[in-house]
Amino acid sequence: MRKVLGVTNLLLLLSACPAAAEEPAWSESHIGTTLTFADALKLSQTNLQTLLDRGEMLFTAKFTTLDGAGRPKATQAIVPTKRKRGENASFQRTGGPDASACSGCHNDPIPGAAGEFVANVFASEGFESADFDSIDPQFSSERNTNSMTGSGLIELLAREMTADLQTQRRAALQQARQTGKDVYARLETKGVRFGFITAKPDGILDITKLEGIDTDLVVRPFSQKGVFTSLRQFTVNAMNQHHGIEADERFGARWTGTDDFDEDGKAHELAAGDVSAVALWQATLPPPTVRTDVPSDWQVAAANGERAFADMGCTECHKTSLPLRSLAFSDPGPFDAAGTLRRADVATPINVDLAARPWASGLARNEKGEWLVPLFGDLKRHVIVDEGIATLGNEIMGQRFVERDVFMTAELWGIGSTAPYGHRGDITTLDGVIRAHAGEGRKARDAYVHSDDTTRSHLIAFLKTLVIRK
Amino acid sequence: MRYLSLASLLLISSPALAEEAPAVPLNDIPVMHEEHESAGVSHVYDGPWEYFVGGGGAAFDCNGDRKPDMLLAGGKNPAQLFINESAAGGALKFREGRLDLGKEMEKVAGAYPLDVDGDGHMDVVLLRVGQNVLLKGNGDCTFSVANREWSFDGGSEWTTAFSARWEDGQNVPTMAFGNYVDRKAPGAPWGTCHDNFLFRPQPGDKPSYGEATRLAPGYCALSMMFTDWNNSGEPSLRITNDRQYYRGGEEQLWRVSPKQAPKLYTRSDGWQRVVIWGMGIAEGDLDSDGVPEYALTSMGDTKLQVLDDEADEGSPVYRDIAFERGATAHRPYTGTDHKPSTGWHSEFADFNNDSLLDLFIAKGNVEAMEDFAAFDPDNLLLGQWDGRLAESGAEAGIALPTKGRGALVADFNLDGNLDLAVINRGGPASLFRNAGAKTDSGTIPMGNWLEIELHQKGGNRNAVGAMVNVKIGTRTVNRWVDVGGGHASGHAGWVHVGLGNSERAEIRVKWPDGDWSHPYRVFANQFVIIDRANPVANYWYPE
Repeated sequence: MRKVLGVTNLLLLLSACPAAAEEPAWSESHIGTTLTFADALKLSQTNLQTLLDRGEMLFTAKFTTLDGAGRPKATQAIVPTKRKRGENASFQRTGGPDASACSGCHNDPIPGAAGEFVANVFASEGFESADFDSIDPQFSSERNTNSMTGSGLIELLAREMTADLQTQRRAALQQARQTGKDVYARLETKGVRFGFITAKPDGILDITKLEGIDTDLVVRPFSQKGVFTSLRQFTVNAMNQHHGIEADERFGARWTGTDDFDEDGKAHELAAGDVSAVALWQATLPPPTVRTDVPSDWQVAAANGERAFADMGCTECHKTSLPLRSLAFSDPGPFDAAGTLRRADVATPINVDLAARPWASGLARNEKGEWLVPLFGDLKRHVIVDEGIATLGNEIMGQRFVERDVFMTAELWGIGSTAPYGHRGDITTLDGVIRAHAGEGRKARDAYVHSDDTTRSHLIAFLKTLVIRK
Repeated sequence: MRYLSLASLLLISSPALAEEAPAVPLNDIPVMHEEHESAGVSHVYDGPWEYFVGGGGAAFDCNGDRKPDMLLAGGKNPAQLFINESAAGGALKFREGRLDLGKEMEKVAGAYPLDVDGDGHMDVVLLRVGQNVLLKGNGDCTFSVANREWSFDGGSEWTTAFSARWEDGQNVPTMAFGNYVDRKAPGAPWGTCHDNFLFRPQPGDKPSYGEATRLAPGYCALSMMFTDWNNSGEPSLRITNDRQYYRGGEEQLWRVSPKQAPKLYTRSDGWQRVVIWGMGIAEGDLDSDGVPEYALTSMGDTKLQVLDDEADEGSPVYRDIAFERGATAHRPYTGTDHKPSTGWHSEFADFNNDSLLDLFIAKGNVEAMEDFAAFDPDNLLLGQWDGRLAESGAEAGIALPTKGRGALVADFNLDGNLDLAVINRGGPASLFRNAGAKTDSGTIPMGNWLEIELHQKGGNRNAVGAMVNVKIGTRTVNRWVDVGGGHASGHAGWVHVGLGNSERAEIRVKWPDGDWSHPYRVFANQFVIIDRANPVANYWYPE
């Protein structure tokens, strides 16, 4: 039976000892008594910072076996999957667990941010090759660590975009039913186009002309492929894959028939409140910013480079900003499916107003009062490889129905702080990664390559002002 | 050392007496909210001795809105049509449709939907005490009697079972009718079971049935189904029979090879004699091996049969795993009446969307049989990850003092959760809306799901006989598109699959001709339309 602490006790214990409630300060357990959702909700209403501090503690904690680290009998798969035979090693760089702490990889230049090449991870479904020990791309796709800074804004953008697209779908279907005729409709939100749907009068939707989005019209903004819906889903996935810490909301008895699915002797490793804490801490991380403390010649070059960036067509995908109607971040979110705590699973979600975060005042607003999120991205997937240049087509495996040569536009905010580049992190310069663009990015890439040295230099100057503040 | 008495030993060793503790459900228990009155479904199946059995219905879409409508047998009361007007995700709502078809709507014991003429409008086969009737659907919830048009001789028997399948190369289905007691035979009802009939269509694209082939001997069939029991591609006809009236009878399996006379599987084929009060058949793939397991209802124990993997290939040798799986359902699980149960309709389905098959059994005393439970609640046995089935009928809300017979398991309000209609003898039909998982404070959504509709060219446009294979992670979940089984009841339309916490799935279809499709990649919580001629699956959205 899971132990549950009262909120008062929690506040006392968490403030005095973030490592482990009911544990001595020198305990080797970090999670201690895992936090229920009800606990987390109360904390969010009485002392949000304590909840966020716990999230940071969990993000930076080097989990131990006392926390439930390791998954001897379970694979890294996002659907609870048992190993067919044998046991996982405590650590294994490819199939995982491959890290003690989230911040073991997400640490450059601050906890929660990116990682350099040594922090690469190996994305594999975890179904057919649970114990692979090779970095051969036939077994997995090697990926560089993404930064989670500003991720709350990213998720909010994705939620609004999903809601817009699904509203457009409903409208097309309704029109088709009312008129008795096919309705061919463009899907567009926040200036990003996602192809077309054809709604039939009988309610069937032709989804063959969608572009850059899953067929359920959910914008999944996380991972380099854009395949995870929410910070919460990403957190549950990563906790299992990288640490063997299994969240109840996916690996618990409700879905697997046991509270110790990975058979490491530790039941109820991570309750829903702790997943909320980690997700919300990431959601509230300050977004990257623009360096202004650079010499005047750099400032001039950066200004020129920003213009060139637009002139070359880079902003067709790396959109300077996307407008956001609301900064109210609720957890759980509205578009997760079973296996990640859903909005309807709880009576009251945790609400965090990102507008109240100190960094929010730095966001520009448009004439409609919408916040402009300067992500330099579009939260859409694109083909990034063609027959002439296949540098970024170095993966053999698709992921979650996304083909091998298709990736979500990388958000460039913070790019000046997150070398190396490319989804494998194997390109050392910005110039190099721009030249690696092809497919839908080919035109802009060619414009860059064919411009003069000065223009290219200025464009680099601009990109290097997009940083994550330490 | 103390010695145990023989009586003590018997107590310990007899599985019937030394029972294991029943499985406790660890997964979601669906809240089944009974709302037949508010839904506008007022229907009673009743009548004298002939209607102690039967009491079925058909769920199918009669007007093209893809919502399951219902046609319910009434026995001495007229059959009734209920047109589904439920809002997606809302309370259940039906409007009674008109069946101005006179006497043919009386003495109806059961009904199965089947698009006999392949025109895209579902037809209905009515099982009657007397002449069976083929109703041709017109697509607007009106019907016409088509016995003459389709040269079908409905006979005059007491028909209680049905199944259909398109045999190789046919555009029109072969139909099997299972009959009960021959009331006119000397000595009736004891030992006077009627033969069953197999109607094969005449050559051509239009339905035209000549003289039936007799499936003799008949042993008082109460359910039958064409089933590809060994995944050979050639379905056989499985019949469950009521020992109450047969003499020397048993359960039956007919080999029905195209263009050949049906032939019973016998002892030399490995078929073993099983004698039960067979009432209903369900097939489901509990172990995802592509070969069905069967739940056979009876008075007392339910049988749960799995093909014996030590038997010779091609031999229909079955092992009963009901006890080890906790699925005997042999007496009421709640209340004070501990006499044996009487089981009727059985059906495997995933009521809580956890990807594991559950088993529903309609229960109810035949009429006033004192040796059997009078209060005999329907079962909802929820599949568990250890392979057992855990009774949850009381917690789910279906443990009512009714006499269940047939049942319809369908998603009536198109919210992804399977609802349930139970046709009760001598009392109102029950209609349960699946409101989601039970919690201390109400309900929450259950697991992810898919509902799948198949289309192909030709007469068998709804792909009866297809197997739907849904891959989620390392697991595969199989469903068959059948016409038959249960107890006098069947449904057509959406094939429902629970996905647990998988957010997406790959669907493959083994079409009735044996060809496998390519995988269709779909996201969870969608209604999926798979047309064999279209390489891409489309989604459908309710209004």
